[in-house]
Amino acid sequence: MGALVLTACSSNKDDDGASGDGGGTLTIGTTDKVTSLDPAGSYDNGSFAVMNQVYPFLLNTPYGSPDVEPDIAESAEFTGPTEYTVKLKAGLKWANGHDLTSSDVKFTFDRQVKIADENGPSSLLYNLESTEAVDPTTVVFHLKSKDDQIFPQILSSPAGPIVDEESFSPDALTPDADIVKANAFAGQYEITDYDLNNLVAYKAFDGYKGILGAAKTAEVNVKYYAEASNLKLDIQQGNIDVAFRSLAATDIDDLRKDDKVTVVDGPGGEIRYITFNFDTQPYGAKTPEADPAKALAVRQAVADLIDRKALSEQVYKGTYTPLYSYVPDGLTGATESLKGLYGDGQGGPDAAKAKKTLEDAGVTLPVQLKLQYSSEHYGPSSADEYGQIKDQLQADGIFAVDSKSTEWGQYSDDRVADVYPAYQLGWFPDYSDADNYLTPFFLTENFLSNHYDNKQVNDLILQQATTADADARTKLIEQIQDLVAKDLSTVPYLQGAQVAVVGKDVKGTEDTLDASFKFRYAALSK
Amino acid sequence: MTTVIPERAPLYKRLPVVHQLRTSVGLQRTMLVAGLVLTAIFVLTAIFAPLLAPYSWDQLRAGGELFGAQQGPSADHWLGTTVGGFDVLSRVIWGARTALLTIVIGVALSIFLGVAIGLVSGYFGGWLDRVLVVIADAIYAFPSLLLAILAAIVISGGQSSMWGGILATAISITVVFIPQYFRVIRAEAVRIKAEAFVESARVVGSSHTRIMTRHVLRNSTRTLPLIVTLNAGEAVLTLAGLGFLGFGIEPTEAGDWGYDLNKALADVTSGIWWTAIPPGVAIILAVLGVSLVGESLNDLADPRLRTRRRAAATAGVVGTTTAVPGGVLSAGPEGVAGMDDLEGPPDFPLSGPTAEDGERA
Amino acid sequence: MTSTTTSEPTDVDPAPLPGTTKTGPRKSGGGLGRYLLVRFLLIFPTILILVTTVFVMMRATGDPITAALGGRLPPDQLAERIHSAGYDRPVLVQYLDYLGSILRGDFGTTISDHRPVTEVLLTYGTATLELAAYALVVAFLVGIPLGRIAAARRDRGVDATLRISAVVVYATPVFFAGILLKLVFSVWLDWLPVAGRATTGTEIQLQRHGAGTGIYLIDAISTGDPAAVQDVLEHAILPALALGLLTAGVFLRLVRTNVIGTLSTGYVEAARSRGVHERRLLRKHAWRPALVPIITVIGLQIAMLLAGAVLTETTFEWKGLGFQLVQYLLARDFVAVQGLVALLAVIVAVTNFLVDVVAALVDPRIRY
Repeated sequence: MGALVLTACSSNKDDDGASGDGGGTLTIGTTDKVTSLDPAGSYDNGSFAVMNQVYPFLLNTPYGSPDVEPDIAESAEFTGPTEYTVKLKAGLKWANGHDLTSSDVKFTFDRQVKIADENGPSSLLYNLESTEAVDPTTVVFHLKSKDDQIFPQILSSPAGPIVDEESFSPDALTPDADIVKANAFAGQYEITDYDLNNLVAYKAFDGYKGILGAAKTAEVNVKYYAEASNLKLDIQQGNIDVAFRSLAATDIDDLRKDDKVTVVDGPGGEIRYITFNFDTQPYGAKTPEADPAKALAVRQAVADLIDRKALSEQVYKGTYTPLYSYVPDGLTGATESLKGLYGDGQGGPDAAKAKKTLEDAGVTLPVQLKLQYSSEHYGPSSADEYGQIKDQLQADGIFAVDSKSTEWGQYSDDRVADVYPAYQLGWFPDYSDADNYLTPFFLTENFLSNHYDNKQVNDLILQQATTADADARTKLIEQIQDLVAKDLSTVPYLQGAQVAVVGKDVKGTEDTLDASFKFRYAALSK
Repeated sequence: MTTVIPERAPLYKRLPVVHQLRTSVGLQRTMLVAGLVLTAIFVLTAIFAPLLAPYSWDQLRAGGELFGAQQGPSADHWLGTTVGGFDVLSRVIWGARTALLTIVIGVALSIFLGVAIGLVSGYFGGWLDRVLVVIADAIYAFPSLLLAILAAIVISGGQSSMWGGILATAISITVVFIPQYFRVIRAEAVRIKAEAFVESARVVGSSHTRIMTRHVLRNSTRTLPLIVTLNAGEAVLTLAGLGFLGFGIEPTEAGDWGYDLNKALADVTSGIWWTAIPPGVAIILAVLGVSLVGESLNDLADPRLRTRRRAAATAGVVGTTTAVPGGVLSAGPEGVAGMDDLEGPPDFPLSGPTAEDGERA
Repeated sequence: MTSTTTSEPTDVDPAPLPGTTKTGPRKSGGGLGRYLLVRFLLIFPTILILVTTVFVMMRATGDPITAALGGRLPPDQLAERIHSAGYDRPVLVQYLDYLGSILRGDFGTTISDHRPVTEVLLTYGTATLELAAYALVVAFLVGIPLGRIAAARRDRGVDATLRISAVVVYATPVFFAGILLKLVFSVWLDWLPVAGRATTGTEIQLQRHGAGTGIYLIDAISTGDPAAVQDVLEHAILPALALGLLTAGVFLRLVRTNVIGTLSTGYVEAARSRGVHERRLLRKHAWRPALVPIITVIGLQIAMLLAGAVLTETTFEWKGLGFQLVQYLLARDFVAVQGLVALLAVIVAVTNFLVDVVAALVDPRIRY
């Protein structure tokens, strides 16, 4: 504490206690960006980070767990194959004094679907037919398909924050200023001051009655940065107490050596992978020399050559860790399906094996491979990441790689238009369930649009989504990963860790850096 | 008329920079020489990059061994390695090549278009002239960096290839600098068009346009080099700004000082100086070199500013007083004067004392 | 646009030939009123040209909806959005429509955060204005005195040092200077804050106080809390230096050139022959006539500071227009970019007009 005040003093502290040194105040810095406080108008990490502090959820993940439990609800369960019933706790209030009832819940989901903003998460409610407020504390969700095991997770996702029907517009996005003015909050915190992407001041809301419990710190100020280097300097100088998302790997590495701060690591849900377009990759279905066996050999060779450890250490200094399957470590059902199949079998690369695989398939070396990545969408290190990958694939002259970067807007158009034979993608989960790493990718009709089609995988994915028995479902998820690992629709290689840097006296960071990927300010104290 | 340099020295001695070098003395000469030396080093580095650079700009390993990221200076890597594991010295050297290419293309395009449009405008006059003058002045107010970012997106379709980055910068620089060449050339053209010898040349049967072009260009050799140096300095700074803002050239494509500086942001505060300082210093030296040349040329072109001893020698030729280097700087007196001529009568020699001085010279 | 100090080659001719009406300084016609009217009317074509340039460039990049949302929406939905926003109409129709809405003062609504561009301008414009004001103060305090010193000591050591410093300042990219300044003053010496316009505490204090001019210094003074004022000023030092010194270099050169120029004019010569002391000559006779071009350039600088503080604001996280513009560019929010640049064009054109007015009022020779 003393050190913080001292260094911070050089750049002045006022006496109002509004700054980060009054006993109950914590200052957090981030490079996140908020696009909207309206849950119907944003679907990004920065906005969701704010929503997690201030809006109530029906279901939520308790500290330390990726699995959902009732939050402001008393119970939540399937009461029929397509009927999911949630009972709210009695006597809930919004911070502005309005009653929080089932009518708010129905309002929330109705407006989400109605507004369907292009920046919003309404697409997550794909299985929601209608919402019914049976009585003031009972809500019934009528679903389209039966036994949807994902739906409870959706209620904790960006589509899940409940909003105040007396403060939000039913058919249009509500401006941030109006939301703050109406004080339409009922999470662990309410917002007292708001300046878009500059600062947010939070005050603990004592009317929150959910599973997460009361906030440990009465006031939290969040400062928004554009440059990670400035965020780093401020945490190092003690001008802020917590830096969460996203410091450069160099910064984190440097801060680990700094004894004024603590670097806290937690599991991360973000993954990186190379996607192959089955039509246009070397020997792909639409190329002149189409040959499925050779095409598979090319993918296998890539999997053999990728040196995940080098990527993790040299490019990311350990802030990303090697990933050997499709579901990242930390989630129920994660495996290491690729580890034994490719490379040296221990996770390392094996050029001789790659060469043999290709030669056995009758492929002439070197294989010309066009590899595309997005220059800024997945962070500033993508260029270095792909510089490394290019270097690794060219080992022993096995591949001749032409790597190019493209700006994200163009990239998004091109990749689904079969322009790129092989390309970089990353994924940040909508909710903490293995399904979110399988369904979007490996169904026949999928987000990748890479023409991967495996009937068995497709059926298994559909099957796990409706398997109520947890163990049986985990088995299916593992089986799916093993199958895809043989086909190599994509080659996963890195998993991001969540890293928070905190002042020495800040406690509770470990509690919230969990596989729910929700960073709750309420867990922190000093 | 003072359209022709009085004494006739051999051609090479009359070449713009050579001429000034010969006539300069003292401080002005020192500045000019310093500028020329820096510029020469820059150009030679760019040309001989393949010989000078120990490694390629995108080389990550030598002899099967990775260089490693952010390694300090050593015998193998005199200036250490970057966060991406590239050799800093090599990237700085190759970066000179990218910068030089940008300058060459940017300057060539600006001169060609600026001169062509200026001649047309000055020669034909009338509404076309007026419209062009207004357009030139309007474009002039546009921040070149912003234009470069837009150009980068338009030209490369978002692909940050070497030529995409170079062309984006060169074209935006061209757009911003055309008005400057345009202004000078147009003023000359308007003046010479009315002169007697042009008319007489016509009587003799020479092509009107050819005579004009020749005279305009000859008279402009005093002012054009100034603008060229400005143009070159601005090209380097714009390229660097583009790289710094994240619209630069990817490391696998070419060396780019601005890009490297951007990537080195985190290093500086972590005690890793060798990734940021070399590209930063390279930018400064390159711009400093051309700017010093410009600064001295400007002085030498202006009798009021020329060191007095030789001031009388070529009096009568008042260059623009305004080889103020730089976008912001050149936003100053440069480039805006075209407007003076716009409304026809009345004309405002707003230039105040300087104009009077010129008349007296 | 402004007319300035520049003595064009045309001005050299002692007696312009008849017929060169456009180039020779002809002392007839007009009058101040007509001059100002012409200048005023020129605002409109200038704005039109800039707005058109921006429009053409932005359309060349494709439609803003695809740029911002491509890849996040399925193609059919994307097409629907493009249609409802009117981006599938002929470009000419879009262009006329765009001009129409600008005439109505509607510069569009940003795609990424749903805010009217005019609101963005108001929110962030004050920050840019404040930075520009600080930078101008620095430029004045540094550039003008040093420029006069350089003129007085021309071609001597002081002059050389000053001029070379001005060139070095220009040659240093502001973001590189920014890194070094931060490293020295914030990290090593720990005297000044790293970035931003104020500490979080002060910003909250200012918000709650509700003075709300958006110019932090004024807001801080109105709270009556000296600590807040100090905090705001401390945050302003580095960015003001970075941007101000760049401008100071221009002023230095400009003052030097013009003072030296006027020193050799007939009117100063006359004063000199009357036995006026050299120092007085410099201070008074040579200085006054040099003012007009200086005023003009200062005016231009204001316009350029508004538009060109992009790098300074980004480096120091000074959340003004330049900073915001870069954020929108990175987000590929071209509606925002187009709107902001168009608005900047208006500001630049209007500022230039005002500068002309001031210059005309200051310099009597304009009132022919």
